[in-house]
Amino acid sequence: MTVESSAGGHRTRHDTVLEVDDVTKHFGGIGAVDRVSLGVERGSITALIGPNGAGKTTLFNLVSGFIAPESGTVLFNGRRIDGKPPHAIARRGLVRTFQITKALTKLSVLENMMLAAPDQPGERFWSVWFRATKVRDREREVRERALDALRIFALDHMADEYAGTLSGGQRKLLELARALMTRPTMVLLDEPMAGVNPTLGRSLLEHMRQIRKDQGVTFLYVEHDMDVVMTHSERIIVMADGRVIAEGTPDEIRRNQGVIDAYLGTAGAPT
Amino acid sequence: MSAPFLGAILSIEFWQYVAVTAGIYSIFALGLQLQFGFAGLLNFGHIGFMAIGSYTMAMLIVHASLPMWISAPIAIATAMLFGLIIGIPALRLRADYLAITTIAFSEIIRIFILNSVRWTGGPQGLLGFATEYTDFSRSAGRRLSSITHIGFDPDRVLLVLVWPTVLLLYLVLRKLTRSPWGRVLRAIREDEDAADALGKNPLAYKLQALAIGSAFAAIAGIFFSYQLLYLTPTEFEPLFTFFAWVIVLLGGTARLGGVPVGAVIFAVIFAGTRFLEFWPLSLLDDGDRAAVRLIVVGLILIGLMAFRPQGIFGKKEELLLDR
Repeated sequence: MTVESSAGGHRTRHDTVLEVDDVTKHFGGIGAVDRVSLGVERGSITALIGPNGAGKTTLFNLVSGFIAPESGTVLFNGRRIDGKPPHAIARRGLVRTFQITKALTKLSVLENMMLAAPDQPGERFWSVWFRATKVRDREREVRERALDALRIFALDHMADEYAGTLSGGQRKLLELARALMTRPTMVLLDEPMAGVNPTLGRSLLEHMRQIRKDQGVTFLYVEHDMDVVMTHSERIIVMADGRVIAEGTPDEIRRNQGVIDAYLGTAGAPT
Repeated sequence: MSAPFLGAILSIEFWQYVAVTAGIYSIFALGLQLQFGFAGLLNFGHIGFMAIGSYTMAMLIVHASLPMWISAPIAIATAMLFGLIIGIPALRLRADYLAITTIAFSEIIRIFILNSVRWTGGPQGLLGFATEYTDFSRSAGRRLSSITHIGFDPDRVLLVLVWPTVLLLYLVLRKLTRSPWGRVLRAIREDEDAADALGKNPLAYKLQALAIGSAFAAIAGIFFSYQLLYLTPTEFEPLFTFFAWVIVLLGGTARLGGVPVGAVIFAVIFAGTRFLEFWPLSLLDDGDRAAVRLIVVGLILIGLMAFRPQGIFGKKEELLLDR
């Protein structure tokens, strides 16, 4: 599948699932995201890195519909999604997680998972009454799928507990598992490993790779741990001061002078 | 203890009246339970929707000569429509704006009723809408008496109309809140952005909850009209909204079964203490005693918050989960 090239024609890559073109968003005069263009290849694991305040989370908010861009376009699967509300974007297969986890605390872990499943007619008021059998059948399927996923993420023993009782790391796992319940084409993960202990963090990364392999899901994730970024990503996008300053493979990024300069003097310099 | 007090406390008619009141409160508060307990909506103007239900029905009967079986559904639909009209702008804003908007709305409705004398009777009240109902009530009472061999006065007929309605509406909400629809609603209550990010449209669900809750308020308003048999704007003051809040908190947030229990307790305390006129209350006049009842309700609420903040049926562990 070929995606139409962006206005500038600077990117004619064969299979770009997400294409951000010349997107800008200011907060009180400061260009949080300033004329950013980037592309994410279908089926890739791409890291988005950059110093604090580089605009990574703002970019996520722009792509996922939580903020509308002032200018520029966002194409997902070749269709424009900029200015669309988050739920419309999620239904098209682009799902995100949050830097500060949003476990629905007073729902059980299983309910958190089942909520995310698409195509549940029982979410419509009249179907609850007039398509009860269909709703029940679908609910049974969704439940099975949710329990399977929880087993993979080693959360099945917590299925009936309130999500609010999970640890920080477990919440990160739940968010990823829940995002995957929507059967996404692409997942945006905002610091999936922040506050997660190394063991859980590794299993999270393994899940990510396995899911990409099995289902061809594309991942774009923000991460500060350079070891993780360099070993687990095929491509890396580097942002600084609201702009994309480099894009490439881990090797290319490691050698990029601009990237080294952007990180100079900070503890997180790429090695 | 004085004789009138004893007389009242032993009279079945009095307790019948309290029971009808509790049933009406239940329906009213079930609507708020859906809105607040399940959708997290801060509706501080619930009484406005009840007033719309009461007055729309009464005015259609009095001015348009419609039968009550047609007026009542129109009244319910009107309340739902107003729920949507208020909700579409207010629900787009932060949660607390809904509280401000709804309380202002309920006062606008009351003051509008107070001033459009030609249609609502204004402060004089609206009469003459209940003829069809009282006829129905009388014949229903006769029929019930012939089956059960006990007397059925109007309050007793209303009693057997109100409480089955409470049960029916309770079951409707039970089904709804346990459905995937209810799961989305609870998710939105917990975190709107998370629900949005998972493909659920928060505004659409909050509007539905607001409209359904408004329908419940209107149904309560219809029964209320037939309990009073006349309507005045003073019955629809903002205080009434907070009766529903007390009932919801008393029974337990997001606990449907808590609503009728909370409503009975509230009705007994509030209506049932009307006749408490023994010493030292006998030192007070009627108006002051009415105020004392509110003080009692307030103290119970304070006690509840101090010793059982989750309400009678609420789960304590849920309170601890709030972020």
